[in-house]
Amino acid sequence: MKLLSIIVKSLKEQWRSFWILLLTLSMGPFFMFVYYLILESSKPHYDVAIINNDKGYITDSESINKGEEYILFFTSSVKDSVNMPFSIKKSSSRSDGLADLKNKKSDAFIIIPEDFSKQLIEHKNSESTGSVEIQFFGDLTSVNYLLSALWANETLNSFIKKSIGSGDFIRISETGIGSSSKISDFDLIVPGILIVSVIMLMFTATIAFVSEVENKTILRLKLSRITTFEFIAGITVVQLIVGIISILLTLITAAFLGFEFQGSAAVFILIAVLTSLSIIAFSLIIAALTKTANEVLVVGNFPLFLFMFFTGAAFPFRSEGLFNLFDYPVSLQGLMSPTHAISALNKIIIMQMKLSDIIPEILALIILTIIYFFIGMILFRKNHMQLK
Amino acid sequence: MSSIPDEAEITVTGLKKSFRNLVAVDNISFEVNRGEIFGLLGPNGAGKTTTINMICGLLPATGGTIEFHSHKIKKIRSVIGYCPQENICFPKLTCLEQLVFMGNLYGMPPKQCRSIGLGLLEMLGLIDKSKVYARNLSGGMKRRLNIALALIHNPRILILDEPEAGLDPQSRVMVRNFIKSLSKEKTIILTSHNMDEVDRLADRVAIMDYGKIILTDTPYNLKNSIGEGDVLEIEFIENPVGKTDKLISDLRHEYKVIQSGNSLIIIAVHLIDKIHDITSSIKDEGLNIKEIKLRENTLEDVFIHLTGRMLRQ
Repeated sequence: MKLLSIIVKSLKEQWRSFWILLLTLSMGPFFMFVYYLILESSKPHYDVAIINNDKGYITDSESINKGEEYILFFTSSVKDSVNMPFSIKKSSSRSDGLADLKNKKSDAFIIIPEDFSKQLIEHKNSESTGSVEIQFFGDLTSVNYLLSALWANETLNSFIKKSIGSGDFIRISETGIGSSSKISDFDLIVPGILIVSVIMLMFTATIAFVSEVENKTILRLKLSRITTFEFIAGITVVQLIVGIISILLTLITAAFLGFEFQGSAAVFILIAVLTSLSIIAFSLIIAALTKTANEVLVVGNFPLFLFMFFTGAAFPFRSEGLFNLFDYPVSLQGLMSPTHAISALNKIIIMQMKLSDIIPEILALIILTIIYFFIGMILFRKNHMQLK
Repeated sequence: MSSIPDEAEITVTGLKKSFRNLVAVDNISFEVNRGEIFGLLGPNGAGKTTTINMICGLLPATGGTIEFHSHKIKKIRSVIGYCPQENICFPKLTCLEQLVFMGNLYGMPPKQCRSIGLGLLEMLGLIDKSKVYARNLSGGMKRRLNIALALIHNPRILILDEPEAGLDPQSRVMVRNFIKSLSKEKTIILTSHNMDEVDRLADRVAIMDYGKIILTDTPYNLKNSIGEGDVLEIEFIENPVGKTDKLISDLRHEYKVIQSGNSLIIIAVHLIDKIHDITSSIKDEGLNIKEIKLRENTLEDVFIHLTGRMLRQ
């Protein structure tokens, strides 16, 4: 009954703190949208300009232009590559091609020589052992040039082997695990941003605890027969609801921007619940050490940044494991619950693994949540609810 | 004034509270009888709030005991209603919502909380504010809401810390009448530095200063203890220190005389007939009078008599 009263009161107060609630719920979708824009605008694109000077080769029955055939081969080879988007265009002259390079309108400029078809066909017929010179132009310090030239060279070799009837000595097969063969950079950042939306709960949760201290209404709670556990549990239930809504809104935003949710929805909710609880528990520690909302905004920034930037939530972060515990790497970052939540989400929604594959992460989240709550409850009781 | 039953509700014995080197409450003892209004009177910093915080269980005592005599009392907090000196309410809840919430925390069913809450708001003139958020109430309204919050769980003992602080005259009368009406069924302890408030409300008064109880009695007996009659307050333009020794010595043959700052306080029966003689004596000493006030004696006079200084000093 008392717990229900605290829940109802906390719900009303949370709703009536509308702007804080709105800010918390909008941060996840906002970050998702910002990351989408950043990744979309910085997506690589490679422009290759080609002049085909090839005069062709005339046989009894037909006229062959291997230069034109190569351009078609190159275009068709790269047209399905999502991660290596190429634009191949023909330049009208050498000077125009070099001008485009200087003006960054193209990344690489290729000149196919006049005798390209002739040399290729004679080489095939073993009538000649000479070579043709294909000229590549570009800024040697530019990664875009290097990648463009590499792909142009690779397709050129393939085209020549195909033209002269020489087979490949090696054949490489590449298999992506889970959805990794289909995922984009945006997909990769989604699990982290989903956890960011839960980390943002730190402010509303801490303020919900501290407002009773700041308004001195904690005195009324102390005078009543409510226990510290009932008080904390009531606020935790409401903040858990806020956390779940926040992560779902962020997921919907990601889906709206093209992210395809894979994996088990139930396991996703389990991870969301555990992560929210761990953040609420950590918020309780901050609340125990502060007395006003202003103090929360100052003191709370430090763990917020740690949680956002050193767990892989806002940016990919590779942590060095100190040791392995049952094959699960234990690191300093592992003291922060989002580290495990992100790892679990990656496995579930990117790699399409099962619940049994994320048992270490789930255990780590549970253990950290219990530790945070234990420390928070003792400190909160000592600093704010105990008789002095 | 309500009658004072003999049965004691609370007995405080040798109560002490120290904060490091500061002794806030120094070995005080008193008894509060069932159904009486007991006033703790004293200047700011006298130790009144510290004393009631210990009675409420908000502050552990350094020494001494507090006994609650009702055998039915198992959970002390449930039988005490406390209205703190500061207005403490939940700013984002309406008046009625917070009364229902606090009632629920004391284990009362919501319907009962609602019914009692509406009754309290009606009695305290806040019924039209029942759906207004506490943050939107005026200071006086918040004060009345705080009294309602102290009463929502129908406590046997009501402790009011400066209940009339910040109230306008109309609200003051309303609250005073409300407290008086409660005294028939509850034991009330109130603290104040307002002599008039305590004089009008309390059945018995304990005068506190520097953490000690100087005297405990009914307001009537306390006033009589310094002599029946009138009080003449004479305020001088300049500080009369050093110039009044002979004057005071002469006046003390006939009256009770106390010097307090720039003023001289003279207590006697039928002073109206003696004002001329007294002012002539003062003028003979070369002292210039700024203001003369003649009134009946009050608890403030008792305090001055006991401590030799004004309450506000």
